[in-house]
Amino acid sequence: MTILNLERNNDLADPVPVERNPGQTIARFLEQYGVGVIAVILVAIVAVGNPAFLSFINIANMLSQWAPAGLMAIGMTYVIIAGGFDLSIAAVFSFSAVVAAAVGQQQSFVLALAAAVVAGAFVGVVNAGLIARFNINPFITTVGTGFIVTGITFVFTKNAAFIVDNVDFGIIGAGRWHGVPYSGMLLILLLVVAGLLLSRTIYGHVVYAVGGNIEASRFSGLRVPLIVGSTYVLLGALTGIAGFISASQLTSAQANMDPNILFDVLTIVIVGGTPLGGGVGSIGRTAIGLLLIATITNGFVLLDINPFYQNIIKGVLIVGALVLDSILKRVTRAV
Amino acid sequence: MHQQTVEQAMHAGVSTTAVAVTKLTKRFPGVIALNEVSFDVRMGEVHAVVGENGAGKSTLIKAITGVEQPDAGHIEIFGRSVDGQNATARRAEGVTAIYQELTTVPAMSATANVFLDQPLHKAFFLRRRPMRRAFVDLSSRLGVTIDPDQRGGMLSISDQQMIEIMRALIARHRILIMDEPTAALGPTERVKLFEVIAELRRQGTAIIYISHDLDEVIRISDRISVMRNGSFVATDAKSAWTKDRMVRSMLGQTQSRSQRSREPGYDEPILVADRLTVPGRFRDLSFSVRHGEIFGVAGLVGSGRTELLRAVAGAQPDASGRIMIDGAFRSLPRKITEGLHLGIAYVPEDRKAHGLVPLLSGTRNVVLTDLRRVATAGIVQPQKCRELAEAATGPLGFDRRRLEVPVRTLSGGNQQKLVVGKWLHRKSKILLLDEPTRGIDVGAKAELYAAIRRLADEGLSVVLVSSELEEVVQQADRIAVLARGGLVATLEHRDASVERILELIFSVEGQG
Repeated sequence: MTILNLERNNDLADPVPVERNPGQTIARFLEQYGVGVIAVILVAIVAVGNPAFLSFINIANMLSQWAPAGLMAIGMTYVIIAGGFDLSIAAVFSFSAVVAAAVGQQQSFVLALAAAVVAGAFVGVVNAGLIARFNINPFITTVGTGFIVTGITFVFTKNAAFIVDNVDFGIIGAGRWHGVPYSGMLLILLLVVAGLLLSRTIYGHVVYAVGGNIEASRFSGLRVPLIVGSTYVLLGALTGIAGFISASQLTSAQANMDPNILFDVLTIVIVGGTPLGGGVGSIGRTAIGLLLIATITNGFVLLDINPFYQNIIKGVLIVGALVLDSILKRVTRAV
Repeated sequence: MHQQTVEQAMHAGVSTTAVAVTKLTKRFPGVIALNEVSFDVRMGEVHAVVGENGAGKSTLIKAITGVEQPDAGHIEIFGRSVDGQNATARRAEGVTAIYQELTTVPAMSATANVFLDQPLHKAFFLRRRPMRRAFVDLSSRLGVTIDPDQRGGMLSISDQQMIEIMRALIARHRILIMDEPTAALGPTERVKLFEVIAELRRQGTAIIYISHDLDEVIRISDRISVMRNGSFVATDAKSAWTKDRMVRSMLGQTQSRSQRSREPGYDEPILVADRLTVPGRFRDLSFSVRHGEIFGVAGLVGSGRTELLRAVAGAQPDASGRIMIDGAFRSLPRKITEGLHLGIAYVPEDRKAHGLVPLLSGTRNVVLTDLRRVATAGIVQPQKCRELAEAATGPLGFDRRRLEVPVRTLSGGNQQKLVVGKWLHRKSKILLLDEPTRGIDVGAKAELYAAIRRLADEGLSVVLVSSELEEVVQQADRIAVLARGGLVATLEHRDASVERILELIFSVEGQG
């Protein structure tokens, strides 16, 4: 029996961790951290081009500016890893901003924040119910709920901006502690918490499992609809916070806050390295994606690049990051 | 025509070698998958290749079909060197392969799946009717009844396997390579396939046949080669081989067989199934499973073996009936979570689709069935994951160094050990095993069954379904025989034999 076992250990078809040559090691490193390397290079380029980039005040501003999209990207990472997708978030973002402003006009900002979170989470529950319980395609479902939510927001606001005079309302969005924006602190805090939740807890493990193979997860006794659904609710709630922060920063909200935010969020998540399809990704990668996109956008301004070229460069960088990723995967697998 | 040319060639003494491989070598990081392998197959010959998982059989096939390029060595097809040619060029030469993995496209019809890579067409238009006719002809030749319009995803595993075989048969096949074509087939379907193979052989097709089923290999092949650790250990005419010699060559030593170690205690039954019904499969099926016994279920494909397990596990929504567990009757579980809660663990048949999460590591797959055991206050403890994953898979002979790589990269035998291991991780009272040895080699089978017997001796009750009747006969303490939608008999181990079971099945199936 011992001889048999020894032979088994040499089973030829299956890889056991073996030592790799330096080329493979580099390829493997780049596959894991390639986007991070690109982000660092870009940071260096922008910083050399304009030293103001790394100034305390600029970093603080970037954090504050990217807090809403960053929060939503956290939620989107969960949804995509669990095998889903959500196109309704731009609508939910405006909706919860309007809810926050409406409540904030009369009540304290705490209640306004709570109302925005509940509003966002509610849409998340509806999405979750339709997708996870009735098994409807998430792309189509969330396009539909997005239209409904946008419509409701327009009906509610009659396409007018809600302006909040209440001074407290602006604290979370625009307030700072020794120069550090509260919204930026919240973003970093939630990145850390969400990262740990995903990588260290039971909940995180089952999110990867349902995204990796929904049937195997069901046979393993996981409550698949609940797990998949929970990611949409989480995204909804985080979008609610994002809506509140944005309303708080502007001290106003309207039905059409920022239609581009959906694409910003998806770009952050996917460029960061959480591919559509599920089962793979991490909050760390999303944080790197956020750094990359924020650096590009800010760099355009600081380096005074012709706005006409901005979109071209942005597109090239996004596609380039994905092509590089694909090439590196092939290199690391082929050998 | 074709047959004549073959015979003429044979009579004329012209070389009839279809494939000749010389000193083929292929390395993967850290291993040599093929080590200076030489091999040939002639026209009108069935050359079987047997060996343990990872012996290098699949790599050899891929080298011949051109899917993988070897690092050294030469391949000739009908006397012409094809070194460096890609898979498409070799297919044009008539090299066709049936791979072990099923590749049915779920959304396409059975017919479209068969004609997947070579649809019949006139200019840009598909010729649907001729394809359909060809499909029906071929399925009657193979003795299967598959609805030509049924979607691929709705077909059973054995029908999907048939689709793979049909796909190869409609291709231009002067050289046909079959990798485990019968792993998912029942006894009757196998017999039909063997008839087809015999016919192809008469027509002069060269066949390379890979299987773990040694009886089958002896039955259909002209020559048999054994591979071990990337080399050919022996090649001989069929007459020179016995099953025992094959096993010894494969393992490099005598096989240790798993033995029934004791008579089961005749205590109270742990599970009683009362009048289980699954529409279209069986009606009013009742049986009981005792503490610490291995209860086998035997029947042909379509007898409802799988559905029976699924009904008890809570994975068959249209099942009705009730079960007694823990001394009280209750309705069937409606969900898998409910079944697990009752202490019933179901190890599904299709490991790729239902068993494993391919991108995650072995450890993470194993602990998935019970994450609470590896977590403290909701935080998963990596150290504990590893320990418990090793504890669950170690007894099955799984190499713990492979626990951290994505399971996608493992061979079928190792994946299967993980699938069983993950349900051992979740401590349950009743283990339902659906085809636990599909596509795995004799060594792995022996280890798996030895481990299952040890667990049964410790008090676990096991229900075993396998299309390998011989395995059921060898392993089970009692065997329920299913046929024509009902329970024909329950045999004690001492009364059971493959012949007896088939006799029982056909005595019932034969009626009208």
